Amino acid sequence: MTCPLPERIPIEGFTYRDMKIDKVPATPEFKPRDPSLVPAKNRSVVINPGATCMPLGAMWAIMGLHRAIPFVQGAQGCTTYVRYTFARIFKEPGSIATASFHEDAAVFGGRKNVIHGVRNLVVRYWPDVVGIVTTCSSEIIGDDMNSFLKATKKKLAEEIGEERAAAVEIVLVNTPSFAGSQVEGYNRAARSFVGSLAEKTGDASDKVNIIPGMTYPGDIREIKHILKEMGIEATVLFDISETLDAPLHPPKSLPYYPEGGTTVEEIRGMGDAAATFTIQKEAGSAGAVLLEKKFGVKAFNGPMPVGVANTDMFVTALAGITGREIPKTLIDERGRFVDAMADTLHYTMMCRAAIFGDPDIALAMTRFACELGMTPVAVMTGSPSVTFEEDVEAILEEYRHLFTVEPKIFNKGDIFEFEEYLRGCNRLDLVIGHSKGADIAAECGVPLIRVGFPVYDRFGYQKKAIVGYRGGELLLYEIVNALMSHQYPIDRVQQ
Amino acid sequence: MTRKLAFYGKGGIGKSTTQQNTAAAMTHFFGKKVLIHGCDPKADCTRMILSIRMQETVMDTLREFGEEGVSLDTVLKTGYEGIRCVESGGPEPGVGCAGRGVITAINLMEELGAYSPDLDFVIFDVLGDVVCGGFAMPVREGKAEEIYVVVSGEMMALYAANNICRGMIKYVEASGVRIGGIICNSRNVDGEVELVGEFCDTIGTPLIHVIPRDNIVQKAEFNRKTVTEFDDTCNQALEYRKLADKIINNTKFVIPEPMDMGEMEKLVLKYGLMD
Repeated sequence: MTCPLPERIPIEGFTYRDMKIDKVPATPEFKPRDPSLVPAKNRSVVINPGATCMPLGAMWAIMGLHRAIPFVQGAQGCTTYVRYTFARIFKEPGSIATASFHEDAAVFGGRKNVIHGVRNLVVRYWPDVVGIVTTCSSEIIGDDMNSFLKATKKKLAEEIGEERAAAVEIVLVNTPSFAGSQVEGYNRAARSFVGSLAEKTGDASDKVNIIPGMTYPGDIREIKHILKEMGIEATVLFDISETLDAPLHPPKSLPYYPEGGTTVEEIRGMGDAAATFTIQKEAGSAGAVLLEKKFGVKAFNGPMPVGVANTDMFVTALAGITGREIPKTLIDERGRFVDAMADTLHYTMMCRAAIFGDPDIALAMTRFACELGMTPVAVMTGSPSVTFEEDVEAILEEYRHLFTVEPKIFNKGDIFEFEEYLRGCNRLDLVIGHSKGADIAAECGVPLIRVGFPVYDRFGYQKKAIVGYRGGELLLYEIVNALMSHQYPIDRVQQ
Repeated sequence: MTRKLAFYGKGGIGKSTTQQNTAAAMTHFFGKKVLIHGCDPKADCTRMILSIRMQETVMDTLREFGEEGVSLDTVLKTGYEGIRCVESGGPEPGVGCAGRGVITAINLMEELGAYSPDLDFVIFDVLGDVVCGGFAMPVREGKAEEIYVVVSGEMMALYAANNICRGMIKYVEASGVRIGGIICNSRNVDGEVELVGEFCDTIGTPLIHVIPRDNIVQKAEFNRKTVTEFDDTCNQALEYRKLADKIINNTKFVIPEPMDMGEMEKLVLKYGLMD
């Protein structure tokens, strides 16, 4: 007997947009919140944090290596949460191993866990790279990871032989989460991998190194496109564009690894490269700076190439260091982008945007919003950055004459503070930020333009590019279309 | 009503020796029911009561058999005069987190009901310096209410005692813990009683007893016995009897006023220059 298919899968409930409720105090004892407690710096609690754990950034990075598995020296939750987050964003399986700390590991230290854990991981999965990621508990109890890893390598050599043991690179990334956010975790991973693996053979190559930071596969592909157009060969360190966006094929061999990712050989060659470009300064510059110090590879820690000026800067720097011409194809892409901006200026001009996210993306989006003639009413980063305020201020200074209202900068703020500020603004047209802003945008009754980490409540965003001229053009259309469907009656847009 | 005591003091001051001898005197002379919970990773706080170093510490058992393996049958041992003994145990020096071990062991013992109401005294014997939150676990709310600090007439012992008092101040309000007294375990240094006396006056805590130095303590210790078990008629056994009596009948519990470093230095100079 066959079951009749329903015409549509039924969805119960109602959308946030439909949920227009007058908010009234639930009890007579209700007291409005103390406005002095709204600024994050006046509170000892964080409400709705804008950043997550440091190990996540390191795991993100290691997922971008070829045949690599992160091994988390900590309790299981530190791994489970990150795998869950990756699955939500990338809709891909993410293999991450854990040392599985229990009460006894917290007391006796995680020596046994890492030695046996890595051994089990290697003999079952035969990875090329095991990236050891520490956690708060391991760091607090003072695990001496370097000596533990020596013992691990010794055990591996005894069990599987010197040669096979030597074929597995074990790289340590120290990520105590209380010392920074996921951005710093990625940054530390860049420093650790470059520091442990990169070499200088003396044969200078004209390759460049790209450290993409916590950008999505779509962005990495766009960067690769620009490099290809310019005829530049590059090593992308932590290339998640294949590993976390792998095509669905039957696995050719088991254990399964996706085909892409940066290989150990490529990382070794980074010491010979002509220059290192970080796409996100806060997530990767530690690696670039180390390459410069150790091997004299010039570091470019420019702004994230989003929008016209930033992409110009990136492309010009690439051309300058490699001596390549900027090809007509790229100039045409730029021309189309600028044309699109001119065509849509009447929609974006004088709009008021609220921008939040990790420091680099918030900065890049602030400049792009300014380029579109918008006023950034508020710019917030949840990941603390020393230079954030002055960097934002530098951008604002260039465009201040166009602003309709004075922007407010939140460094080390939380999303609660940001939201409270937006509620007090008498006009807001859109919010630019990650998925944690969905309810803020809904509350404020404006569209949310999803960029940055994390975007988990929509499909396909990890495949889209926002960097480069083409990425910028697509991002522009998304902004304009959101404004049109949100602010204009249907008959007014029938042009 | 079970009274919960914690013994603190500088490492090597004779804290565990004093604690075990006092516990032995409490049971032998006064018929009290006592449980000793050793919180030193070395697990040597019950050696003289059990006549052997505890073999099954809580943390060792936890490591070998998991949490389910820890039961009162495995980790609670009965020694001299029915004194019950538990040792937290912990990692080797230099690895892991011994403080976390103390927390885990005390939590487990509470869950298993080791600190049963039929006991007159539960004694926590805690390692020298209160270096982290774990070693302050015994004075958290609902745990030890009285602290006895073992000192001698040596400056470093008094420094440590002052530090312990500073640590305890934080818990005074939250958990209601009080100092029961300072115990001077005499080293026969010059002006010892006067110095310790002035120290106690300054920080406002009673000097509950001065235990004279007597080699019989070491002799008994070599035989893995407390003085009371070794020879309950000797003078030293009577001294521990006095101390046990004072603790049993103690009603004076104070909040200490620890000195700052400047005051401490002055006290050092005063007695250090005396000759």
